[in-house]
Amino acid sequence: MAFEIPKIRYTGKIQEVAVGTGKRAVRVGGASCYPFYRFEGEMPNPTRVAFEVWDHRPEDWQEWAVEPYKDVIHDPVAWAKKSIDAYGAEVIALQLKSADPNGMDRPADEVVRVVQDVVNAIDVPLIIWGTANDEKDADLLRKAAEVCEGKNVAIGPVSEKNYKQIGAMAIGYGQIVMASTPIDVNLAKQLNILLGNLGMPDEKVLMDPTTGGIGYGLEYSYSVIERDRMAALTQEDVKLQHPVICNLAHEVWKTRESRLKREDDEKLGDELKRSILMESITAMSLAIAGADIVIMRHPESAKLVKEMIGELMK
Amino acid sequence: MFLIGENLNVMSKKLADAFLLRDPDPVRKMAEAEVKAGMDMIDVNIGPARKAGPEFMEWIVKTVQEVSDIPLSLDTTNIEAMEAGLRVCKRKPLINSISARPERMAGLMPIAKRYNASFIGLTLSAEGIPRDANERGLFAAEIIAEAAEYGILEEDIWLDPIVLPINSQQVQIQGCTEFVAMLADLAPLCKSTCGLSNVSNGMPTHLRGIMNRTYLIMIKRYGMYSAIVDAFDNELYDIAKDKRPELEALVHRVMDGGSVDLSKVSEEEAKYVKTARVLLGQTLYSDSWLEI
Repeated sequence: MAFEIPKIRYTGKIQEVAVGTGKRAVRVGGASCYPFYRFEGEMPNPTRVAFEVWDHRPEDWQEWAVEPYKDVIHDPVAWAKKSIDAYGAEVIALQLKSADPNGMDRPADEVVRVVQDVVNAIDVPLIIWGTANDEKDADLLRKAAEVCEGKNVAIGPVSEKNYKQIGAMAIGYGQIVMASTPIDVNLAKQLNILLGNLGMPDEKVLMDPTTGGIGYGLEYSYSVIERDRMAALTQEDVKLQHPVICNLAHEVWKTRESRLKREDDEKLGDELKRSILMESITAMSLAIAGADIVIMRHPESAKLVKEMIGELMK
Repeated sequence: MFLIGENLNVMSKKLADAFLLRDPDPVRKMAEAEVKAGMDMIDVNIGPARKAGPEFMEWIVKTVQEVSDIPLSLDTTNIEAMEAGLRVCKRKPLINSISARPERMAGLMPIAKRYNASFIGLTLSAEGIPRDANERGLFAAEIIAEAAEYGILEEDIWLDPIVLPINSQQVQIQGCTEFVAMLADLAPLCKSTCGLSNVSNGMPTHLRGIMNRTYLIMIKRYGMYSAIVDAFDNELYDIAKDKRPELEALVHRVMDGGSVDLSKVSEEEAKYVKTARVLLGQTLYSDSWLEI
């Protein structure tokens, strides 16, 4: 009897979601097999790398993280443009850090002007990431949805606490939401159901399972994304058949291991190389677990990850 | 099925003041209500009772016995309080509970023997909560063997498989169910019981009943002898007392992998089918499982 390679029987398919508009719109999801298991099914879209841009000059970045953006870091519009033109960003993730009530706490109206400037200046899809403060985001992201009318942007994180306010505006202005839950499949499913009940179309929902950096809880995120995909693809769990987005850059770059210089600890080696590897390994691990969009910081790590994904998609 | 009412409980907000002030009236009323609801036994749960445990247990047992002769299950981790309660029980009491932890067995089994009490053998050991059906079996065997050393009859051991909350431990429920199915072979002379409501612990309150009832049907099928339950869930009572055979048959069909067309059953039946699918691990749990 001839040997037959065992195959997984897939019964479901990940929802395809289009982000942005026009020629440079990006499609994510659509897979009918586990990530990169293209010998078992279809994976029509590669994992996408989104370049993060902050809405305000970051105060505490390592100088080697600032370096690639040092001429534009004070200006979100110029920063986004440089990421696209010089580093080949296909998606921009605007982090609304300055709105954080635990930080600068800039008023929503002021921050939304930055959103408007950025969205009008670029032709690639935009992801708008709020403060993860439920109350602030309810206000901030609603306004962001409004000023981005017609741009098909992704807004989030949307939680069980504020999904109604943000979801309603997203539906009204045709935007995508990123449904965020704390590393738990049951809660992820629940929030997707709630968004569905609200009237959110399936092709407008991305899932944020909450991301940990390597050495700082990556394995939990990995397991949950893996479990999401198993339920979605092999157990016909329609409510989990959404593309996954991982906001990993700030998780990686805040760790001790990405902050220490070689002179602080010789064993850790070159800080730039180390940070880039930490970021790219985190991103690649999440892509292999099932992430459809990874939000990254350093152009070199982004380049590495794109190359590896390119190899796997050949 | 033999039902043990869980509502006389130190966690009860309604009874908190009565317990604190040793006001017998609300305690009597609760006991009477549980008897009226058809319970076969009342669980008297005073928790860890670190302060004045023996006095509290004696008081509550006597208070309940003023209004009813119903047998009691005494629920406390305080061994002295347990003994104080057993001493004043008029009917054969049930100790809730003795786990496979050596200090619990050594502390409580001699007392069980002395007062001719039955006990709930909780399948939990020093290493903690069992991970699957086999570990439950192992802990049960340890309890049975140890009880034999004290001359306690197997029929006085009520094995408890430990029901864990479905919303955080969905896979664990299947291990629990599997163990219940093994019980008839593993320990045919022992009785069995479980804290049924724990399956729905942490869920939205209005959804707990359907989860409890569906799981009751599932373990009842495998010969679960009794359960500690919400005394005031009338539907649950009916199921336990064999008054809803059609619902049981429906859940059994789902358990056997039979297909059920949800559009062809009543709304109530559809809820049981959906819930059984969650309990069997066929559908991933979410708080909105009935809505999809």
